[in-house]
Amino acid sequence: MLFKVTSVSFSGLTTIRIDVEVNIADKGLPTFEIVGLPNKAVAESRERVRTALINSNLKFPLRRITVNLAPGDVPKYGAFYDLPIAVGILSEIKGFHIPESSIFFGELSLDGSLRHTKGALLAALFAKENRMDSIFVPEQSANEASVVKGIDVYPLKDLNQIIQYFDSKIEIKPTIYQSPVQEKQGTVDFDMSEVMGQEQAKRALEIAAAGGHNILMIGSPGSGKTMLARALPGIMPLLNEDESLEVTKIYSSAGNIPPGGSLIVTRPFRSPHHIISQAGLVGGGTHPQPGEISLAHRGVLFLDEFNEFPRSVIEALRQPIEDGKLTISRSLERVTYPSRFMLVAAANPCPCGYLNDETRKCTCTKREIIRYRKKLSGPILDRIDLHVDVPVVNIKKLSHGFSNSNKNETSSEIRIRIAKVRDIQKERFKNELIHTNSEMKNKLIRKYVRLDSNSTSMLMDAAKVFQLSARSYLKIIKLARTIADLEQMEDVEEKHIAEALQYRPGVIE
Amino acid sequence: MNYIDIKSTEYPYLLLQIKDPPPRLYFKGDWDTTIFTETLSVVGSRRMTRYGEIITDNLVSSIAGAGITIVSGFMYGIDAQAHNAALEAGGRTIAVMPCGIEKIHPEYQLDLHTRILNNNGLVISEYPGDTPPALWTYPRRNRIIAGLAPILLVIEAGIKSGALITAKIAKRYNKKIFAVPGPLTSSVSIGTAILIKHGSQIVTGAGDILTEYGKTNPEELFSKKELYGVNANQKEILKILVDEPMGIDDIARSVGKQISEIGADITFLSLKNHLTLNGGKYYLVKEVKNVI
Repeated sequence: MLFKVTSVSFSGLTTIRIDVEVNIADKGLPTFEIVGLPNKAVAESRERVRTALINSNLKFPLRRITVNLAPGDVPKYGAFYDLPIAVGILSEIKGFHIPESSIFFGELSLDGSLRHTKGALLAALFAKENRMDSIFVPEQSANEASVVKGIDVYPLKDLNQIIQYFDSKIEIKPTIYQSPVQEKQGTVDFDMSEVMGQEQAKRALEIAAAGGHNILMIGSPGSGKTMLARALPGIMPLLNEDESLEVTKIYSSAGNIPPGGSLIVTRPFRSPHHIISQAGLVGGGTHPQPGEISLAHRGVLFLDEFNEFPRSVIEALRQPIEDGKLTISRSLERVTYPSRFMLVAAANPCPCGYLNDETRKCTCTKREIIRYRKKLSGPILDRIDLHVDVPVVNIKKLSHGFSNSNKNETSSEIRIRIAKVRDIQKERFKNELIHTNSEMKNKLIRKYVRLDSNSTSMLMDAAKVFQLSARSYLKIIKLARTIADLEQMEDVEEKHIAEALQYRPGVIE
Repeated sequence: MNYIDIKSTEYPYLLLQIKDPPPRLYFKGDWDTTIFTETLSVVGSRRMTRYGEIITDNLVSSIAGAGITIVSGFMYGIDAQAHNAALEAGGRTIAVMPCGIEKIHPEYQLDLHTRILNNNGLVISEYPGDTPPALWTYPRRNRIIAGLAPILLVIEAGIKSGALITAKIAKRYNKKIFAVPGPLTSSVSIGTAILIKHGSQIVTGAGDILTEYGKTNPEELFSKKELYGVNANQKEILKILVDEPMGIDDIARSVGKQISEIGADITFLSLKNHLTLNGGKYYLVKEVKNVI
């Protein structure tokens, strides 16, 4: 007899419908075959399904079982066809009816229970878009799938429960979406108030976080670059609803949502180590998976020891920084992942690390420093809006002169300011395709940044004195826009340009 | 190929006084004998510190500004800084190469090489063509540097350094040696301290050297810079920087203001050329220091 179960297949973030056809023939030698371009994980489904059925005290039919995953020319990946295949076989054994307008999705364990499976959110979204009634997913993935409103998400424990449900012996209540426990920003490693000194670096991070600007921090070992970067998530406002869904989709497709987890509300913070491969950073594989840049979408990509990353890996960042997305083309698939992230890079000032340090002497020769800087320079630096020096803090100097009590603001105080600036930008760009000041291109800069004559002449002077390139010039204007937004000023004034110039590329020698 | 033979009347007189003058001097640029009338040799470490950089700029710019030719060895560090400072002050400078005259060593200082030649300076060497530099050509070159001027100024030097070798040669030639004092914690100030201990003159300002040439320190003639357009807050920043150079965080803490405000003020002051940024710290320019 032939049974049809509906499931899905993923290619990047797009989902297509897959009909899982299970045919159990009365004639022929007993076999169990899966056809329809299954990859290794799909083909191994046979063993999982057979064993799970037997371990659930069900009789596995010794007949000729053929499973077809249609359409047959699309390669299938993943272990989530276990459930639809098992349901197809069970309906033969137990003779229950499989609901037509439902998607089955989940990986089986050998004991017959269902495991947390990646991609549940994408499957649920697909069900909703195609006006289906319900989706059956493993219990631990139900929270994730229930983010999608308007369809019933049935959480499943194991095979026996499924049988009882279809025999109408028990009832399974659809999971009701529970907004994620507002993971307090306490999950952040450091609070900004814990960082001693470094007022300029903190201010720079505030501006960067407010306008989504990329930032480069240069300083000696131990000056606090890493600590500052780790404190950054604490000052970033939470994701809004749209952003949250965008991010969760990527995480769902990469299998980065923990069992029982649901919507991601905090901004991602990714800090890959410098031994990362190009595919690891930007994404890749024959069945392309998202890379760190996509996992950092709407959040922060922190590259510590920026100089140590291979040149080719760094250069691969250029296009995604410009476009906010990256298309990975392979012979069988072409996948686009979004990658609108804020780049935070940190590096030592010279090979030994102690250039300009007050306490330790730099042992590098000029030539070594020039060679080291060459690795830093180039088109990627051109795409970084803020350059900031992070000197080693002299504790003695800190302790006196701390009379100003408002100096050490906490992360949440800063976050409130930043959230306001994000709102201003949302309002400003409501008719544009961008979210933040940093994404403005020439045309939008002219449209949204009005400069008075004082500001213009200051920029002209600065271009001469500081030898700014045309691109740096525009970056200064974008930064000044964010600085003015922080003061909630309509127009960019001279003083905003002046402050923005503190973060120009040449400020670190 | 351009060279001056030892028999030529245009051969630098001072170089004839040494024991083993090079028989031929290959050169680039226009050979104008007036460049050798008043000369000062400047040597120092390749590992120039910020201190060395600032002192070189201060001393050499005043001396070269007074019309004295600066002779040095074109190496990166103090040498290159000295050539640079001389050029900035509008003076002439001579680079003595340790390699063939056609070679530029180090190569990445091509720009400096061009600027020396474009500003009536000279590049000279006793080696023709593109002879590569070798360990033994450096001390040979140093004798030319020491020989070309009546006075040698050592700015920073390690214990075993080319600068000290040059000083030794200069002593043998009975040249006057001036050395710049520096902190004893710095390895490149030990060499100059030793020189001072053994009887070299200590330098406390460009005037010390200029009087040797019968000139007064032009620094005293500097017009005081007018501070117009500087508001009270900015003036306060300038005052704080008189005592010691500071980074921006320290300035903000000393003045007791928000970093955003200080940042804007610092940009104003930098654009007006009242401040210079060097190694993460802000320094007052000389003219402003005289006013505050």
